[in-house]
Amino acid sequence: MSSILTRAATVALVAAATLVAPELHAQTTLEFPTWQAEEPGVSTWWKDLIAAYEKRYPDVKINMQQVAFAQFVKQMTVRFAAGNPPDIVHLPSRDFASFADQGWLEPLDERLKRTDIPATWPPLQSEMQWNGKTQGVLLMGYGGMLFYNDQKLKDAKLGVPKSPDDWLAAMKATTDASKGQFGLATITAEHPNMVVEMASWVIGSGADWLKGGNYNFTDPAVVKAVDGWRQSVAYAPKGTNSATARQLFVDGKVTFLRDGPWVWGALGKAPPDVRPNLKIGALPFPVTPGGVSNSLHLATKTEAKKKEAAWNFIQMAASPEWQSRYALTGSPAPRKGALTAADLAANPHLKVINDEAAKAHNLFPEVQPVRAQYNDFATLVTKSAMRMISTPDPTSKVLADLQAELTRELPLK
Amino acid sequence: MRAIGADAAPRAPVRERRRPTLKAAEQRLAWLLLAPALLAIALLIGWPLYVIVQMSARPGKALAISQLMAQPFGTANFERVLHQPALWQAFGHSAVYTLGSLIPAFIAGLLFALLFHRSFPARRWLRSMLLLPWAVPGVVVSVTFLWMLDASYGVVNAVLRDLGLLATDIAWFVDARTAMAAVLVPTIWKSFPFFTITILAALQSIPETLYEAARVDGATPLQQFRHVTWPGIAGPALLAALLNALWTFREFDIIYASTRGGPAGATETLGILVYREAFESFRFGTAAAIGVLMLATATLFVVLFMRVLKREFA
Repeated sequence: MSSILTRAATVALVAAATLVAPELHAQTTLEFPTWQAEEPGVSTWWKDLIAAYEKRYPDVKINMQQVAFAQFVKQMTVRFAAGNPPDIVHLPSRDFASFADQGWLEPLDERLKRTDIPATWPPLQSEMQWNGKTQGVLLMGYGGMLFYNDQKLKDAKLGVPKSPDDWLAAMKATTDASKGQFGLATITAEHPNMVVEMASWVIGSGADWLKGGNYNFTDPAVVKAVDGWRQSVAYAPKGTNSATARQLFVDGKVTFLRDGPWVWGALGKAPPDVRPNLKIGALPFPVTPGGVSNSLHLATKTEAKKKEAAWNFIQMAASPEWQSRYALTGSPAPRKGALTAADLAANPHLKVINDEAAKAHNLFPEVQPVRAQYNDFATLVTKSAMRMISTPDPTSKVLADLQAELTRELPLK
Repeated sequence: MRAIGADAAPRAPVRERRRPTLKAAEQRLAWLLLAPALLAIALLIGWPLYVIVQMSARPGKALAISQLMAQPFGTANFERVLHQPALWQAFGHSAVYTLGSLIPAFIAGLLFALLFHRSFPARRWLRSMLLLPWAVPGVVVSVTFLWMLDASYGVVNAVLRDLGLLATDIAWFVDARTAMAAVLVPTIWKSFPFFTITILAALQSIPETLYEAARVDGATPLQQFRHVTWPGIAGPALLAALLNALWTFREFDIIYASTRGGPAGATETLGILVYREAFESFRFGTAAAIGVLMLATATLFVVLFMRVLKREFA
């Protein structure tokens, strides 16, 4: 009898424990989709940060998911539109305004007041304002960089280019398409970053395709700069997206790559005989084109408990320790003094990256209607860029058509 | 003593309860058996169509579907798309893409079916292999052809260069003049096995005696094809052509994965345009309006095609 009772009590205890256990160990899981989960360099920082966060907050788990960059904004838009936003919102900053304009992002001014972020972040943090409210924390502002294969330049008896004309000449001298060797790797297929490639030449030359609150694509200075970009594309393999362009450079098949400083982390994957030749420097433009890169946000629809947990994560990412580690990956961290003099001395490439970030001019449009509908703007500019790559139509004609189409589809007034 | 009921008013003749006829009972049973299928069609096809038509008549740019559906009815979406040069360009591209893949795929399918109708070693094995392109997902087909036709590192350019047929590499998917041809090649490769299998099945149902009779009458192989083979396969072959045309007309994955409708809209078909409007510009209303126009075009095509088929086989 007593054994039956003992067994019954054991079963009851096990059942009770099973029922109560989930309550005792209930975990909050934060969803965190990003395009950087597999990006060499910065992905390690994210993984380490998540591990440290989960150690500090054992009742919270962060589920980081990789989403391809080309699809990222579309996927996020659909999720927000369907009322199912992620808990930690990571956005390319150029698309921030189109999300803020829908009222999807949480104003952070009250939370920011309790941190040192307003005092230690650069003026670019103001890009995170929409309708007078700060709705994000900038994670990176950068200057565009020139990556080059030093050996190929030496073979062609050339130095590192100092002007756009030098650069074009060096591309030409190092291109031999019949041997699969190209002067430049750049985006030559339909891709959201095509605008950045073209804008780098325009802003870099000191021109601007938005001037005085109007479209300015027919300005001769803009036409000349875009012509420069168009010439450069002639020395690049066709049908290339940003990932393939980087891979071609890392494999030692091209001489130049214009990209963000985060590519530094990917150079470690180069073959041992190629890696010593891959160098980083400033773009050969009179003005450094750059801008806000990516930022962290909270969604208005996220439940309060998760919002708090996500804010703790953002605060941790913005802390001096993690900003310093971020800067050491090669990505310019926004926090003032993220790198020490010793860090810069030990890593000379970080000095040029940070110098370029400090003097960069924003290559993304700052006019409110374009910011709110950046996707439409980028689609039309990309279509014109592809027209210049794939047809012999004169640059001035393509840009005049683009200006007319933008004025019709995306009026500024 | 009166008999009970003797002075009662004459009773109305008692109506005999009519028993359902066999035909009515059969009809009722048929409707009952059809009901689950009809319900499924109403839910899975009717309801989405109703939503799309509703959406197409809600002008305005709203990212949340609930906001869009709250807009008043109007014709602005149709006015906008009908005045868009991109729509007419996409209609043209869809027509070229549909006919450009249908005709070669049909001819290739017919030729392979005639070949596989004959006996030769390894025929069964090769017939199974032939089905593979049809089973491969469109995205995988695109990636394969993207590499084969790559401007700088593709095998096609390399072979053409070695043969002395090319002086400079052709950027098949990036040049506006060759992009449509480049997306047609994988589409044809993927779709011809469907014709082969359909026509082969029809060929096997033609009695051999008809061919024997034709040969006895002195018919040449071409005459045998014209008067025996074609009448035997025409029905299934034309039906397969109709189905394939409809699939190709709304094709999305092969084009999107290879060119995304580019370069500069050179391969932007209606399916790609709908996607761009919905998921790049987030104009769900105009995307739905283009969808409705596509549906109307496809319906018109089917009605005309069925008339031709009926006339042919009346």
